[in-house]
Amino acid sequence: MAMAAVPEPDLVTAYEMPEQVSMLQDAWNRIRRNRLALVGAGIIAILFLTAIVATFWTPYPVWLQAVGPTYQGPSAAHPLGLDQAGRDILSRIMGGASITVQVGIGSAIIVSLIGIPLGLLAGFYRGAVDTTISFFINIWYGIPDLLVALILVFVLSDALHLIPRGIFVIVLAFSLTRWMDVARLVRGQALALREREFVEAARMSGARDLRIIFSHIFPNALGPIIVQATFAIPAAVLFEAFLSFLGLGLPSPMPSWGAMANDGYHGLDFAPHIALAPTIALSITLMAFNWLGDGLRDAFDPRMRR
Amino acid sequence: MTRGTVSYIGQRLVLIAITTVLVSSIVFLLLHQIPGNAFLNETRTSPESLAANLHHYGLDLPLGQQYVNWFTGVLLHGDLGESLKNRGTFITPLLIREASVSATVGFYALIVTIGLGLLLGIVAALRQNTWVDYVASSASVVGYSIPSFVLAIFGLLLAGHYFYIWTGGTFYYVPGWGKLEQVPVPALALGLPYASYVARLTRASMLETIRTDYVRTAWAKGLRARVVVLRHALRNALIPVVTILGPLITGIITGSVVIENIFGIPGLGKEFVTSILARDYNIVIGVFTFYAALVGLANLLVDVIYPVLDPRIRY
Repeated sequence: MAMAAVPEPDLVTAYEMPEQVSMLQDAWNRIRRNRLALVGAGIIAILFLTAIVATFWTPYPVWLQAVGPTYQGPSAAHPLGLDQAGRDILSRIMGGASITVQVGIGSAIIVSLIGIPLGLLAGFYRGAVDTTISFFINIWYGIPDLLVALILVFVLSDALHLIPRGIFVIVLAFSLTRWMDVARLVRGQALALREREFVEAARMSGARDLRIIFSHIFPNALGPIIVQATFAIPAAVLFEAFLSFLGLGLPSPMPSWGAMANDGYHGLDFAPHIALAPTIALSITLMAFNWLGDGLRDAFDPRMRR
Repeated sequence: MTRGTVSYIGQRLVLIAITTVLVSSIVFLLLHQIPGNAFLNETRTSPESLAANLHHYGLDLPLGQQYVNWFTGVLLHGDLGESLKNRGTFITPLLIREASVSATVGFYALIVTIGLGLLLGIVAALRQNTWVDYVASSASVVGYSIPSFVLAIFGLLLAGHYFYIWTGGTFYYVPGWGKLEQVPVPALALGLPYASYVARLTRASMLETIRTDYVRTAWAKGLRARVVVLRHALRNALIPVVTILGPLITGIITGSVVIENIFGIPGLGKEFVTSILARDYNIVIGVFTFYAALVGLANLLVDVIYPVLDPRIRY
């Protein structure tokens, strides 16, 4: 028979198989060449390290007043100077890093916890489920989200005294108003993925809906989800700073960068270092997360491949 | 304006009204859970005066009745009620006056955002990979991460302290508001972060458009550079930029809350924070309702501009 004459094993050696790369590895290969994203990742690593160190040790306690003359500029003993209550600004910047990390990571997690299931359900089941969820997403898009979050913090903590003013209520308020970015993205992914062959195959082999959703569709949508969650971090950090700057965020002794900027803004003409230290720290942090986010987006989006 | 467009705008207006009423109703109901909460902080409030206060504002009625009163007042008369702290101050005229102040700042901020953003984006795209492009691109990559309140603090420091001889502090220390020289610093602080974002977006879409065949044809016909860039390329390059106009206007409105507080501008944003800190719930709800409607209308406006640029889109 002619069929038997075909030398099967040769196929493997004749063609050089493309190297098998997983999605994460592929993304890593591309992000390694993106200098801005690497700088961002480096800054974020320093931020996390500072945050971890600050939970155990800061040069002075963040709340300790009068460790030196008030409004004193940078000196050898206090590299970033002292604020209007004579607190060591370096210690407070370190403490602020810890708050920033908690707010950012906490928000990214809760936003994903709300957005991913809703998006998956809407995209997978379509029909009435999709219509309902999409209706809420659209309604939510039409409202000024940060102002709603601000009102939520005020209502939950100050008016109803349900949750004490703190990191948790800020993260919660932010997530309740920002989940739809993730939900909309995941919905789109699920809509596209549910038509793919591997989902068909899974359904053919008798997998139940939940199994298809969580072990077939979800892992394949992971890349864009990571990107979206990364972008939620700077937004949450900015929201916390924005609230604390207005005096509506974290209560007074907590070293939030926004609150520190507000402290310094009142003495701007004779002690600019008080405002400059936290605002520069905040700007660099936001920049790092945005750069990393942009890098991740380019890395996970094959259409952007150069 | 086709009939389709009119009915689309009508539908959207209904949806905006529903959204506004829905979110402000939630805020209203939440804030009215504890009656008289707003008066609790005042020192030496006798039970009689508290009761008189509650009665004056109708806060002694059942919650459902309060809600119906508020709802009909807003919907039928556009009446947002009376300030809890300054009796006799009615909220609707107050907010309309303050909104006009905020609109001035917002308008100039929008000009900074769109004007500067488009300019930088177009120039960077046309001079791709030259030093002009590198300067513009790096500025926008840094700029869009710096929050407006940080820029405002830097602006205050520069204009109000280091360059005091030139500015004379006119933008800040002069009582009252409305002079043109008071506008630039707040408007720049509010507009620059978004301008960087617009510049990035414009550069990317411009780069894509100037490589298309029809633009090459326009060059080949011997048209002047101004005509090719502005009339042929820019019009299509604007489409992705218009899509972010909605979030951008929302961002400027949100940003104005903090900017107005920094520069002491007597607008809606300052009122919002002041009333929250003073627990003047009626004003909080009023400003919030105003903002929700404003953001909805801004988004609608953007969607109406869209088909003008891209005739393929019809409603």
